[in-house]
Amino acid sequence: MSYALLTLWHERQRYVSGVFAVTFSAMLIALQCGLLLGLFKITSIPIDHATPWDRDRVIWVGSTGAPSVDLGKPIPVGFLTRLAGREGLSSPELYIANFGNFTKPVGGTELCFLLGTRLDDEALAPADVLTPELRAALSEPFTIVVDRSDIARLKLDSPEGKPKINGKEVRVVGVVTGLRSLAAPWVFCSTHTARQLMGPLLPADHTTYLLARADTPERARQIVADLRATYSEDMSAYVAEDFSYSSREYWLLRTKAGVAIGYAALLGLLVGAVITAQTLKTATEASAREFAILLALGIPRWRISLMVLQQSMWVAVIGMGLAYPVCLGLRQVALMGGADVDLRWEVLSGTAALTTLMCTGAGLWALRGVRQIEPMSLLR
Amino acid sequence: MPAIATTPTLKGVRLTRTYGDGAKRRAALQHVSLDLFPGQIALLMGPSGSGKSTLLAVLSGLLEPDEGQVLADDGGEMRDVWSMTPKQREAYRLRTTGFIFQGFNLFPAFTARQQLEIVLNWGGYARGGDARRQADDMLDRLGLSPNKHKKPAQLSGGEKQRVAIGRALVKNPSFVFADEPTSALDWENGQKVMELLRDGAHERGASILVVSHDHRLLPYVDVYYHLEDGLLEERPLTPPGH
Repeated sequence: MSYALLTLWHERQRYVSGVFAVTFSAMLIALQCGLLLGLFKITSIPIDHATPWDRDRVIWVGSTGAPSVDLGKPIPVGFLTRLAGREGLSSPELYIANFGNFTKPVGGTELCFLLGTRLDDEALAPADVLTPELRAALSEPFTIVVDRSDIARLKLDSPEGKPKINGKEVRVVGVVTGLRSLAAPWVFCSTHTARQLMGPLLPADHTTYLLARADTPERARQIVADLRATYSEDMSAYVAEDFSYSSREYWLLRTKAGVAIGYAALLGLLVGAVITAQTLKTATEASAREFAILLALGIPRWRISLMVLQQSMWVAVIGMGLAYPVCLGLRQVALMGGADVDLRWEVLSGTAALTTLMCTGAGLWALRGVRQIEPMSLLR
Repeated sequence: MPAIATTPTLKGVRLTRTYGDGAKRRAALQHVSLDLFPGQIALLMGPSGSGKSTLLAVLSGLLEPDEGQVLADDGGEMRDVWSMTPKQREAYRLRTTGFIFQGFNLFPAFTARQQLEIVLNWGGYARGGDARRQADDMLDRLGLSPNKHKKPAQLSGGEKQRVAIGRALVKNPSFVFADEPTSALDWENGQKVMELLRDGAHERGASILVVSHDHRLLPYVDVYYHLEDGLLEERPLTPPGH
């Protein structure tokens, strides 16, 4: 066992505050980032739930200047010819995605987001949570499906009245779960129903998106690159997984939520850094006479500095070792409450990098204590 | 007592060291000269504040004198310790010098063996299994084999000081400087410590300088110096009153 770890274990009561500070700091960073990413996953639900197993092969074509799936403007259906006949690409299909005005059965309105797709088994666009039964039900005109979490918000639990979208009466034929919304509830329907509900707001020869599936991820990227190079002036093209990322990134930056999280993370880092640095410095000063003996014996000072830095690394490792299981536990609790904490590997490794950096900084600060150690102090 | 070599391995030449400024200026050492020989254990005594620790610090390369030289045998060549750069002096101390202090100063987290191993490992003398073997050999010679896995809190005062002696001797230094090595111990343990230091000098050919107030140490040393008011004189090895 290393001398640094031996000392850490023996003096664990001294180091415990530093370890807990790191744990707190790592938890704050990971959970804040995870909550934010979980929250903004909502913005890419139409993409992530459309043929999720082929996210690296499905191509989305939309209007220019649509960095997020909910910002697509109508494009001519004629763009189909730009996709048709390409080697290794399936026949493209239409996807209507537009905001609508939802009138609640009991009165009052709410913005909703219409998602009109093909409903057959081969279709790429419908959400994966739409069961064959729901799809069959949606094939009837003016039928819709909403998420269970939006039932109360849209007052669909009221026995009286009938809901309308853009002034046209609709019938709810089922509910799905797990597709929560932020600003506007998702409303799932067929392309036919969507077109009827949009009326003149969506010209007959227009759609919002075109979707097609390439036979390989490489082909998908190659076709997207080709479409961007050829038609960048009037349409955009994405591989599904990139469009999903773009949607989330757009709203993350647009809402400045990242800045708020950044401040919270900075606060966590500061608290962790100060406590860890003070813990390490106090511990170093407590061992000053033992270190002074080593210096008198001619042991280079950098050896002692290295030991202090190793201790800071161990504090980081132990702190994170405690933080991550707690984070994963809290994630389960949040999931039970309906909130997603997205603790993807990028979040965990980013937290680890920040925490390690913080502890290294704390260790470097504590080295001031090492520089003050003088062997002569043993003779006074 | 074995024959002492006639050529000194450490020479203090006209060493002067003062503290304070102006009216408060006080000379701790006034043109002090001293020779230490290999295989010799020397005792430096004197009243409190007489400059004993200052002389030890100057001779050992820890405190720079205002005037004078410290010439040390470093690989067969006499070199002025205070003409070296700090890095060179650090390396010189690593090669040649061992220290023992009154307060033991052992790492509370380490076993007796680890207290010695850290010097060998960090000093670049030995690594891993070799360092462990050398540490065990030294602890065996000090009669500490049964205690090699014990931490300072589990050792008596005498045992702790023996570990500190082991830490000073394990790298086989040419010079050992001991500042009040017995003052925290009872006389029985003090005697053991002095026997070990004397053996260290006679068997290993080291030059050992012991600073103490205790006249009972005289039978264990080869030469006795008295320092008072910054002036050094060699005195006979007869305890006062004999």
